[in-house]
Amino acid sequence: MKPAVDENLLVITPGLAERHYWRDLWRYRELFFVLAWRDVTVRYKQTVIGLAWALTQPLLTMLVFTIIFSKIAKLPSNGAAPYALMVYAGLLPWQLFAATLTGASNSVVGNANLISKVYFPRLIVPTAAVVVSLVDFLVSFVILVGMMLWYQFLPNWTILSLPFFIVMAFLASLGPGLWITSLNVKYRDFRYVIPFIIQFGLYVSPVGFSLTVVPEHWRLMYSINPMVGVIDGFRWAILGGESSIYLPGFLVSWILIVFFLWLGIRQFRKMEKSFADLI
Amino acid sequence: MSDIAIKVEHLSKSYLLGHNTAQPERYTALRDVIARNARNLVRTTRDMMAGKPSIQGDEVEEFWALKDVSFEIKRGETVGIIGRNGAGKSTLLKILSRITEPTTGRIIIDGHVSSLLEVGTGFHPELTGRENIYLNGAILGMVRAEIRRKFDEIVAFAEIEKFLDTPVKRYSSGMYVRLAFSVAAHLEPEILIVDEVLAVGDAAFQKKCLGKMGDVARAGRTVLFVSHQMAAVQHLCGSCILLGQGGLRY
Repeated sequence: MKPAVDENLLVITPGLAERHYWRDLWRYRELFFVLAWRDVTVRYKQTVIGLAWALTQPLLTMLVFTIIFSKIAKLPSNGAAPYALMVYAGLLPWQLFAATLTGASNSVVGNANLISKVYFPRLIVPTAAVVVSLVDFLVSFVILVGMMLWYQFLPNWTILSLPFFIVMAFLASLGPGLWITSLNVKYRDFRYVIPFIIQFGLYVSPVGFSLTVVPEHWRLMYSINPMVGVIDGFRWAILGGESSIYLPGFLVSWILIVFFLWLGIRQFRKMEKSFADLI
Repeated sequence: MSDIAIKVEHLSKSYLLGHNTAQPERYTALRDVIARNARNLVRTTRDMMAGKPSIQGDEVEEFWALKDVSFEIKRGETVGIIGRNGAGKSTLLKILSRITEPTTGRIIIDGHVSSLLEVGTGFHPELTGRENIYLNGAILGMVRAEIRRKFDEIVAFAEIEKFLDTPVKRYSSGMYVRLAFSVAAHLEPEILIVDEVLAVGDAAFQKKCLGKMGDVARAGRTVLFVSHQMAAVQHLCGSCILLGQGGLRY
């Protein structure tokens, strides 16, 4: 038997860890773009108002939260920033998180026909599905710009750090997303867990209220939810001097994000070979 | 480089099956149903903790879809794989195309593999014919430039020029499979794995498909071809592998 020295030689044995996993992923990048493009195109086909759907949901949530938390519960905003703007700055990453989690977790089961008939690195499916939520995110960003004009709120230099926080929000949702995606293939129970996480998380995370409302000695504990750090960062970037980052909590969030990302990718890679048998 | 394109050694694949062993009772008592469900719940929770797949049924049996299969295919050969339903043909192809992994054994493949286990994989009903050509092409492993180059050829082969910008959900089923096969037929891999996909369209189109497959085979590519149509296999293939009950028979 010759050793597999040839680059083209493909050896298939049970339990073999992919040697060229990341290179393979790169080779299939075309498929990634095509799948992402498909998901984005299909999303608003045969709808009348099309992309406007991406606008209505965050807008209405923002209105309700502002009325409930500011007018009824009379919670304070971050400094002098308008309450609605503060809610929206928190809502943006939260929506990204929710959409990513939902999109990714259903993607593999939803593409069952592909998985069971064609080979490609399975990681492409959930990551391509996630692009849809990024597009929606960019669309809802337009509202933020509109609101800033309305309130005549001028952001300062901190807004330049926003891309960093977008990446952070993205990673924060990708980790648990991948983990749940792979488990969802085996145990469909997880499909029912997602809406619960999202509904629950919306109130557990500081979306409708500022982090400053949380008592000082609970704040570090509270930051175990990685979205706390993300939302805090978004507010700091968008509202500028009116909001400050709570650093210890921010670090805790990052540690958890990296941990979940590692856990998610590991779980996904461990299970992806058996996807076709289980789906 | 040796002249062997595919080498399969002692390949086996097992699946787990679940059975319901409970005797059919004369009447179903709520008490029994609850007891059985509780038992199942305990078992599935235990399986889940151990990371095993959940299987319906009271008893689990191991089933060998493929057992100790070994063969070699030379470069440029066209090999037919035949066998009765459930002989493990599709399982073999799925393993060869890396969709599932074998339980034991190993395979060495020299060259780029494309597999057609089904026509129209990934076709999206909401997308137009044009969009689906790009989508399906990418899924089968073509790059955009390649699809663009062959685009007219694909459309002409499928005979659907008029409906290119109609969503495929409004296609007739004949148009749908013609388009699907047409994309697949324009793949140019070194090794092609085909599973009973030729039986599409009307008689004239089937003939066209067989002709196309013949061209592929003559172009010096290695082709693995599964079919129940003995005539097609005889016509296309140089040699043949007969699978039966998970094992190999020549």
